[in-house]
Amino acid sequence: MKSLSLYQERDSIIHEIEPINKLLYILTTILIMIIVPSIKCAVLCMIISLMLLLKANVIKKVLPIINFSFIILISIIIIQGLFNINNKTVLFNIGKIKFYKEGMMYSALIVIRVINILCAFALLVLTTKPSDLIEDLVRRGLSPKIGYVLSSVLQIIPQMTSTMGTIMDAQRSRGLETEGKLINRIKAFFPLIGPVVMNSLIATRERAMALEIRAFSSKNKKTFLNETKSTKLDSSLKYIFIAAVILSIIWRAAIWTK
Amino acid sequence: MDKIVVENLKYKYPLTDKLVLNDISFKIEKGQFIGIIGQNGAGKSTLCQAITGLVPLFFKGAYGGRVLVDGIEVAKSNISDISLKVGMVFQNPFTQVTGSKLTVYEEVAFGLENIGLNREEMKNRIDEALNLLGIYRFKDRNPFDLSGGQMQRLAIAGIIAMQPDVIILDEPTSQLDPQGSEEVFKAVWDLKKRGITIIMVEHKMEKIAEYSDKVLLMHDGKVIDFDTPEKIFSRDDLMQYGVIEPAYTRICKAFDIKDSGLYPVTLDRACEMVVKYNEHN
Repeated sequence: MKSLSLYQERDSIIHEIEPINKLLYILTTILIMIIVPSIKCAVLCMIISLMLLLKANVIKKVLPIINFSFIILISIIIIQGLFNINNKTVLFNIGKIKFYKEGMMYSALIVIRVINILCAFALLVLTTKPSDLIEDLVRRGLSPKIGYVLSSVLQIIPQMTSTMGTIMDAQRSRGLETEGKLINRIKAFFPLIGPVVMNSLIATRERAMALEIRAFSSKNKKTFLNETKSTKLDSSLKYIFIAAVILSIIWRAAIWTK
Repeated sequence: MDKIVVENLKYKYPLTDKLVLNDISFKIEKGQFIGIIGQNGAGKSTLCQAITGLVPLFFKGAYGGRVLVDGIEVAKSNISDISLKVGMVFQNPFTQVTGSKLTVYEEVAFGLENIGLNREEMKNRIDEALNLLGIYRFKDRNPFDLSGGQMQRLAIAGIIAMQPDVIILDEPTSQLDPQGSEEVFKAVWDLKKRGITIIMVEHKMEKIAEYSDKVLLMHDGKVIDFDTPEKIFSRDDLMQYGVIEPAYTRICKAFDIKDSGLYPVTLDRACEMVVKYNEHN
């Protein structure tokens, strides 16, 4: 079954941690990097994220995610290295092109921050089932209707794609050219879009009725089949994240008052 | 006491002129198996939706008359409250899967979570429903990985876990192969034996004749007849309502093999009457 999830099934302590704590970890990491704008702090945060990914046994799966942003990161390094407003000290030359130390340091900070944020998000998406994350959020007050929309799209979109494939095959079997030149593809788009949209609308209406029949709009307080797996570690982590943010604020305040 | 009472029900979809349901009245007793037959556009599905309250609460339009379930008027009630009394299984098994749950077990729990049932009771009901429908062995599978017949049984399991007194099935086997259809019919028959009132819209006349206590014949938004399968399928004007009687009935009609003016509607009864007919001729 295709699903739009990057979740990796592993047996690790990271997988056992409550999804809300992984969300808080992302928030904490971002906040600390904003509050403490030093490269050392960013490197430290990145090392922690990488270690957690290693512990979760999903480090290999992060590489494609980082690769995805590689072109943007490279362009940041080039642009900052060449044109940063504070550029003074030449670090190295490639022919006549000069790369400056100040710009390179600034771009290194941005790159490390981006990689750190990607790693923190990867920690969430690679070690948490989307349904667990959404259920956790619904337990904490997110509207069940919004929760349903978020969790259903992950499965329903691949199903709709499959339906679209069937419709495309049906049209192709009747002589419609859907491949080849761009003009052919554009011509094929219009005969396809009607059946696809109609099919989706009908399916959505039927699903909405089926949901209503199963008390989707019930005013009763919702309960959950799965038990919450909150551990002492989960409770401690929340305090650790709060403490880390407070400490970074104190550090920043101390720098200002000097 | 009657389980369902439909009184002078009239309904017209928005932006249309024609009444889809035109002054319909009938009563259904608790534990009965009712088959609804008629050609496409007769108003069968709309009638089912009116019994669950989806019409007029979900679809707007002009609505008259009333539908009572256990004395409660559905049009004036919340669908969530009615869903505890009346469950409905639709034609397409795919659109009945919520899409938000990753396993069959969790899928059945969807409605139970919505009504706020405690975990223990929820698990008991899910186990019972999955076992009854014969799909317990698939409990850890993704619902979208099931076959059409299995998915339709999952949809029924999701409904019966909510323990409604009435289950409406709107052409539940139309998209299934013969084996899948048989699985669904067996499951529904088990529910009937448990005392659940069943209303089934179906084009497979042999099955309707075999299982139904009474058959509601509809045409053009009106109830033409509401009687036992023998009486309904012994009518000689069925073709005009787009209905063809079961094959056994057709054969017996051809040879005029009948008992007390009624033709047989099941294979066993037809065989019995053919044997008698041969003995006498």
